[in-house]
Amino acid sequence: MANTQTMTAEATTIEPPKFLSGAQAIMQCLVENNVKTIFGYPGGAIMPTYDALYDYQDRIKHILVRHEQGAGHAAQGYARMTGRAGVAMVTSGPGATNLMTPIADALLDSTPMVCLVGQVKANLLGTDAFQECDIIGMSMPVTKWNYQITDADEIPEIMAKAFYIAESGRPGPVLLDITRTAQADFMTKPFVYKPCDEIVSYRPRYIPKQSQVEEAAKLINSAQKPYIFAGHGVLIANAQDELDAFARKADIPVATTLLGMSALPHNHPNYIGWLGMHGNYGANVLTDEADLIIAIGMRFDDRVTGDLAKFITQAKVVHIDIDPAEINKNIVATAPIVGDAKEALKALLPLIKERKHTEWIAEFKKYDEIEFEKVSKRDLFHDGDQIKMGEAVAMLSKKTKGEAVTVTDVGQHQMIVNRYYEYMKPNSLVTSGGAGTMGFALPAAFGAKVGAPDREVIALIGDGGFQMTIQELGTIAQSGLPVKIIILNNNFLGMVRQWQQLFFEKRYSFVELQNPDFITIAKGFGIDAHKVSDRAELSGELDKMLAANTPYLLEIVCEKEENVFPMVPAGASVASIRLE
Amino acid sequence: MTTYTLSIFTTNTIGLLNRITIIFTRRRLNIESLTVCETERKGVSRFTIVIRHESRDAVEKLVRQIRKVVDVLAVFGYLDHEIVFNEIALFKLATPLGGSPLDIKEINLDWNAKVVHWGLDYVVIEKNGTETEIAEFYQYMKNWEILEYLKSGRVAVGKTEKGLVEYLPEADWETV
Repeated sequence: MANTQTMTAEATTIEPPKFLSGAQAIMQCLVENNVKTIFGYPGGAIMPTYDALYDYQDRIKHILVRHEQGAGHAAQGYARMTGRAGVAMVTSGPGATNLMTPIADALLDSTPMVCLVGQVKANLLGTDAFQECDIIGMSMPVTKWNYQITDADEIPEIMAKAFYIAESGRPGPVLLDITRTAQADFMTKPFVYKPCDEIVSYRPRYIPKQSQVEEAAKLINSAQKPYIFAGHGVLIANAQDELDAFARKADIPVATTLLGMSALPHNHPNYIGWLGMHGNYGANVLTDEADLIIAIGMRFDDRVTGDLAKFITQAKVVHIDIDPAEINKNIVATAPIVGDAKEALKALLPLIKERKHTEWIAEFKKYDEIEFEKVSKRDLFHDGDQIKMGEAVAMLSKKTKGEAVTVTDVGQHQMIVNRYYEYMKPNSLVTSGGAGTMGFALPAAFGAKVGAPDREVIALIGDGGFQMTIQELGTIAQSGLPVKIIILNNNFLGMVRQWQQLFFEKRYSFVELQNPDFITIAKGFGIDAHKVSDRAELSGELDKMLAANTPYLLEIVCEKEENVFPMVPAGASVASIRLE
Repeated sequence: MTTYTLSIFTTNTIGLLNRITIIFTRRRLNIESLTVCETERKGVSRFTIVIRHESRDAVEKLVRQIRKVVDVLAVFGYLDHEIVFNEIALFKLATPLGGSPLDIKEINLDWNAKVVHWGLDYVVIEKNGTETEIAEFYQYMKNWEILEYLKSGRVAVGKTEKGLVEYLPEADWETV
């Protein structure tokens, strides 16, 4: 009480502040950056900023998540759709630690994100204060850049820098740890926002060196069996048209990585499938036949290469990447090109000769036939009683003409979606690739819907991952975002079960789930929900879901012990790919 | 094992030391020595880090990861023959009454070291030199009772005519 009286007394004697408070400056910076929506969760140390947000509600929409992890993944989903930094705002301590998983995920998947994190008052730093956590120290290994703001005057410059770093070069997450003092204090000078476009110690190279381009063009022009690996970098650089033109002109087969999915439409004459552990048969096996690999915006992840010592040892490699640290990291490049995928392809296009590689591309088709006989046919055209994930996804693909945005979680269903969804539009897969974060899909889906309100956004989630962030149903219901949610329920942690079956002598160690009634739960959150287990009803149920213009959940009860093939066993060479 | 010396130039930012060292620890690389100092450019710090490694390739990868840090301006990796380098060692020796006397002349002229502090019954001797020179001097110093011995990390400059000015031109950087 005494405290309140003192404050009142002071308030009457102090002149009204001349300048913005730190918290107002943060809001103003978001407006200047054209940020329309942020995802967050309030708490003690971020309260001054939430107070300022109250006055900015007409300019900045805030989506209140149910757990800070949800805010992070939603910001990622938004970023993946728009190419712009998603903004997550949370409080100090546990609020910030809950954000660590999305941040780590965003770093691995090159996703721009700006995390605004509250911190205790500057004078309490290092005192083990309530909800204090060394979040700068903690987030250091998983952020592209982080910074602690202790002075309100720093805010405009640091915010501008944060957005620039997050979005430029190889995108990534940036964390700003903002002390309560910096939020609550008033600036001592007028607010001036100057967008950042240069940092002396950070100069990403967009335009490649001409000498590197020429070297690569020579290799491409003389290759007999060239093969393009298209990664996430193609989509980040918005280079799908350039990739299309390049692939057509030189007539080179193109496979995508998991995150490069949808860089070319699946009916493109040069598209031959996807690479990696559960990728296509031909796409994997023929890596051993190519004489030149042209890797564009991809990083030769172990899930793509299998046993590195046996991967593409016969081939020369042109490696295009904006991040110089990726060059020669896993695979030695014969001709590296450091630069933006779009700029590099633009520079290469006039230098490459028009060619025909009809026979080479036809080789992939031969493998497709084998894969269809041994794998796809079983998944799509079987006469079993139970629905298989593959047929559900293939049906969804047809019904949406391959034009929806699919947001997947992690596990068997993720691989199945990539196998059977026929992507026709670029930037249509949002998934957690590098980190493999279960629980990613549900929050990422509503983030993606905010980023692409005109597209159909469908989250496809396993029953395990769904329960990791199930509370975000509340966010979806409250925000009214018409996200479609499909649970592919096989009552198992399916991918782990598959490994246990294949490599651990069927010792099913803690992979079977006793699941709740998902329909009741969804309805409890106020979300329309339906369940289908009869194959005859699957089509009708999907139609109903797609016709809805509100949030909608469809639980598809799937065959329990289905396996995903093809599969390259972990650590084995891609040649040892299994079809059954 | 080959010794590599990394010269890392950064903007002077809190926490950057941590951001750089975690790149080593994540790859299970042991830092042999680390020296951080200001430079002739205002706001620019210089890290000199010494590591031993079997694989040059691994060191090159490490260098590229350090370059990737937003606040890092430049990184140079050197082999020993490419640099002039030194460390400083301090020896605190007991000189009790009746103990074996120190040969200051030998310490000065033969070992190129000097006594920098005279205590009542101890002295502090400073020796500058390479790790090998200091190690040899240490063997000699063991003839007396060493109360304390320590040495700094390596400092090093490249054997080229280039200066920092070529990487951080004066037009952009204020000199100290």
